[in-house]
Amino acid sequence: MRGITRALALGLVLAFVATACSTPAASPSPTAGTSPAATKPKHDLSTYQYALQTKGKIRIGTQEDNTPFSVKTPATGKWDGFDVAIGREIAKAIFGEGEDVEKYIEWVPVVSATRIPAITDNKVDVVIKTFTINDERKAQIDFSDVYFRTGQRILVKKDNTTIKEAADMAGKTICSQRGSTSEKNIATATNNAARPLLLDSYPACLLALQQGQADAVSTDETILFGLVKQDPNTKIVGKYFSTEPYGIGVKKSAGDRTGFVDFLNRTLIVLITSGTWAKFYEQYITPVSGDKKRTPDD
Amino acid sequence: MPGGIAFEFPELFFTGLWLTIQISVLGLIGAIIIGTFVALARVSPLVPLRWIGGAYVEFFRNTPLIVQLFFLFLGLPFLGFRFSTDTFESIFRAAATGMALYHGAYVAEVVRGGLLGVDRGQIEAARSLGLSYLQMLRHVQLPQTFRSVIPPLGNIGIALVKNTSLASTIGVAELLYAAEIVESRTFRAEEAFVAATMLYLVLTIPLGIAVNALERRMLVAR
Repeated sequence: MRGITRALALGLVLAFVATACSTPAASPSPTAGTSPAATKPKHDLSTYQYALQTKGKIRIGTQEDNTPFSVKTPATGKWDGFDVAIGREIAKAIFGEGEDVEKYIEWVPVVSATRIPAITDNKVDVVIKTFTINDERKAQIDFSDVYFRTGQRILVKKDNTTIKEAADMAGKTICSQRGSTSEKNIATATNNAARPLLLDSYPACLLALQQGQADAVSTDETILFGLVKQDPNTKIVGKYFSTEPYGIGVKKSAGDRTGFVDFLNRTLIVLITSGTWAKFYEQYITPVSGDKKRTPDD
Repeated sequence: MPGGIAFEFPELFFTGLWLTIQISVLGLIGAIIIGTFVALARVSPLVPLRWIGGAYVEFFRNTPLIVQLFFLFLGLPFLGFRFSTDTFESIFRAAATGMALYHGAYVAEVVRGGLLGVDRGQIEAARSLGLSYLQMLRHVQLPQTFRSVIPPLGNIGIALVKNTSLASTIGVAELLYAAEIVESRTFRAEEAFVAATMLYLVLTIPLGIAVNALERRMLVAR
């Protein structure tokens, strides 16, 4: 399966190179004429955001079933959620407000395990998908500043009285997503004594929990909120046993991502200071968490 | 050395390889047993049996294996059946059963072809010599059938070994799963998948050679 994606990625890269070569070398002048493009945000010509603006497309990688952060509504095919909203704001910062920003966005479905390959193989421009910043990952890709903070907790059935804290997971079957930090955190918190059941998505984990195939599901609290909403016969227990700072993942610049991370950070700061971030939090996170935050550090 | 990463994580890759072998062997044995009986049902003189055999083949051949695996793992408990009280034993058995049921449909088609390929005259001669239907199957039709279906059965066996990788989706820690875990821990994706590829080849290439050798021996015997 990975082989196919690799081959496709290579094909995409070749296609991109081919189109890039066929366009005239002269760069279009942003000041020329009085076209509607004049209303677009001005970016420095050497930057990646300028390259995206000229291309007229940003590829955003996120997951199709990761409520409340990102979900592709089956009926309409529309994307929604906190990460999706952040993605749209970034697209607006590149292509300009006031237009239907959706036409500039190509949503690329990713899962935890495919996030880094999608970035390093240049299949996406950014990954916004509950993406925990850590040192191992920083060796592979670049991250923006933190735009969301959460921690790992445990989801059990409502009648479960044996699992209360992270240490209680020892000897129990704990479901999480293959290729995620959650899996490693469970191993660390229990000294490798938990039995990991690793599936491709959290909805599958929830099903395994409902049928007693797993004793608990453990991952970032915000994702568990989404699961509790789907099944009110479950509850979240324990204190945070990890901290998960989420960032936007981008390819490490080899001269081809100039100024992009700075641009993302500036955009995030504007989102937070303008209150847009708080609005998104209230819209997507508050219904499942019950709390309100003005900034990621609240 | 390509694939050397397997020796850095032997507990993942080699237990994965061992699980792949176990699921493959159990699945193939199950598939041959199921397939033989379904094929016999399909060519039997009894119409209801023929109908059941046909329905089996159409159902299992025309639904994706991954869907069948998910049904066995997460769907059956809804109907009150589970393979084992232990989750990991349960997913292992679900995987082996899924392999047997799915590939059993393909084996059934191959064996049916073999059964129909046996000369009608021999069957009629056996019956007229006083052999019962079962005796005729045992001594005349089945031995010739198995001889002729060895090459296509070998193909199904190789396909089965590769299809065991789908068991990773229901959490069986087989070879592909091992590669994915190693990838997520080390980010050495190419190495991890090269290692898995090589270990799959270690299983499938000798299997192909064995099938070819067996086929030649059977030809001489004929």
